[in-house]
Amino acid sequence: MRVEAKAPAVEFHDLTVSYHKKPVLWNIDMTLPKGALIGIIGPNGAGKSTLIKAAMGLLPLGSGFVRMFDEDLDTVRHRVSYVPQRESVDWDFPTSVLDVVLMGRYAKLGLLSRPRKADKEMAMNCLRKVGMEGFVNRQISQLSGGQQQRVFLARALAQEAELYFMDEPFAGVDAATEAAILGIMQEMTNQGKTVVVVHHDLQSAAEFFDWIVLLNMRLVASGPIDKVFTNELLQETYGGKLTVLAEVGELVRKRQIPSREKY
Amino acid sequence: MEQLLEFFSFSDPNVVAVVIGSVLLTASSAVVGTFTFLRKKALVGDAVAHSVLPGICLAFILSGTKNPFLLIIGAFITGWLSLVIIDAITTRSKIKEDTAIALILSVFFGVGILMLTHIQHSGNAAQTGLDSFLFGKAAALVGSDLVTFGIVAVVLIVTVGLFFKELKLISFDMSYAKALGIPVRAIDLLLTTLTVLAVVTGIQAVGVILMAAMLITPAAAARFWTNDVKRMTLIAATMGALSGLAGAYVSYVAPAMPTGPWIVMIISAVALLSFFLAPRRGILSRAVSQRALQHQIMDENLLKALFHLGEKDETPYKGRTAEEIIKRRHFPRKRLMASLWRLKREGFLSKENGLWAFTEAGKLKGQRVVKLHRLWELYLSQYMKIAPDHVHEDAETIEHIITPEIEVELERMLEYPEVDPHEERIPY
Repeated sequence: MRVEAKAPAVEFHDLTVSYHKKPVLWNIDMTLPKGALIGIIGPNGAGKSTLIKAAMGLLPLGSGFVRMFDEDLDTVRHRVSYVPQRESVDWDFPTSVLDVVLMGRYAKLGLLSRPRKADKEMAMNCLRKVGMEGFVNRQISQLSGGQQQRVFLARALAQEAELYFMDEPFAGVDAATEAAILGIMQEMTNQGKTVVVVHHDLQSAAEFFDWIVLLNMRLVASGPIDKVFTNELLQETYGGKLTVLAEVGELVRKRQIPSREKY
Repeated sequence: MEQLLEFFSFSDPNVVAVVIGSVLLTASSAVVGTFTFLRKKALVGDAVAHSVLPGICLAFILSGTKNPFLLIIGAFITGWLSLVIIDAITTRSKIKEDTAIALILSVFFGVGILMLTHIQHSGNAAQTGLDSFLFGKAAALVGSDLVTFGIVAVVLIVTVGLFFKELKLISFDMSYAKALGIPVRAIDLLLTTLTVLAVVTGIQAVGVILMAAMLITPAAAARFWTNDVKRMTLIAATMGALSGLAGAYVSYVAPAMPTGPWIVMIISAVALLSFFLAPRRGILSRAVSQRALQHQIMDENLLKALFHLGEKDETPYKGRTAEEIIKRRHFPRKRLMASLWRLKREGFLSKENGLWAFTEAGKLKGQRVVKLHRLWELYLSQYMKIAPDHVHEDAETIEHIITPEIEVELERMLEYPEVDPHEERIPY
């Protein structure tokens, strides 16, 4: 089941990605629509985070390519933002909430220049949007999980991008933060921005997203929620693990075979 | 004493030169080391420090002179080479990084010592003083050496200043930096180059063997005093400079003494002091706040027990003996007495004829603890559906934590209840 988007924000073309020579994503081929709130859903180890990391150029691609707004990532990077998993950084790092949000402005600032007053005001605005304006000078280790996630979101907002990739923004956050984050995402898509979210909870996925990508090492389905969120497709994503696919992947790793032949 | 005055009057131009040199070198390694520390690459710093020795010896063998510029180049090459090999081993084999570091460090250092011994036995008159690179000799920092090393040190500090925001970003969140399109590889390479250079310049004052301490210890000590990278860098630089100054002094007073061990001992003492004395993060400050918390819990439990005693026969202000209180709740006697006196001092209790009684403020405080305890029990059984006989233990802890705001919220949610799950009255 694959619905193609018209004038897509993101296009994955025949993407294969390996971790330590072991293929974890096979032949992902799909397009994602502009202005939609898109959920990437699948079981543990399905390669959800890997997919958006590969899209952001953080992992080497085995084969295929990703295009955004019909361009290479490098040409449109200033229009794309990425929110890593909260656990991926050391929150004991000696810095303040405002400093973290200001990092979202670094790409615009370029090398050798310091954040200006305008950048600080922009950062403050973003903190206000996520309801963290009372925590500006707080040391980041003093934040709760939900607050950390809001800070990451504010940092992404400070980039003023049009396309956002977010890795598990709802993981381990309180109900109030969940509602706040969802509200901001909906506001973003209303303004025509595209938000792609890695998400692991099926139940809330049905309420959150307008477009769903079902993933389990390969693309099971991609399309509007009413077409994709069916029992049959969910069964295929979660129930029927393709054991042969996993076994072949293991073989490729053991024998260190490159995922594409060179000649 | 006389020497001390003579040294710190800075009237001897030689002293001034040595002081400026040592301070610059130690401060610049501390500045660069802050980021080595934040990127959790302390061991890498140690590997580089040991790996520059063969480069220094090789440069000397090839040129036959102790030209500082050539020595820096030689040191730089082998320092870099060690990092490249560590990286290659880690990515291309199953050997983990710590093993690779240990391997490379010892091989390079071993070769260095071999070459140094060879030079010392070669009879070349120019070699005297080359062994001061092992443990450092701040007093040797004069003339053209000082100028060369000083310039490198200044360049290091300025470069860190220029790329401060990028260095901070890659230390905190590498993948986000990549996603932003920051030239992460180039910045990482820059930091590695700075680390190697810091080692190369620092060894004149500290020596290769102890150089890693000069990179990492000031940063580790500074971390205790602040939660801001910028301030941390400044504090580390100051601590480094102080130890450099001390090293220069030792070198002046006792020219035969190697300066490295002195500098490292002083910076380590500073780190140890920070570890114990720093506000909030230090051991002492933590112990103090732990003790305060224990006192608070003991005092509140005592007030609660006293309130319970008066609750039965509705005589809240009646005086009680310590024995009566112990009978109600088994406090260790010594702690009980300390707590009684503390509460009297603070005006919550009064004492007459060996009988302890509530003051008005004391009764209110005891009543509040009892109220919080019962409110929490009710909350647990109503909202979390926990059986009434399972809620007491939890409430024992939570009663000491609840803030006035949560107290109001609980009262509102439970609609000012009359009794707790055990049918005991909740006092307001």
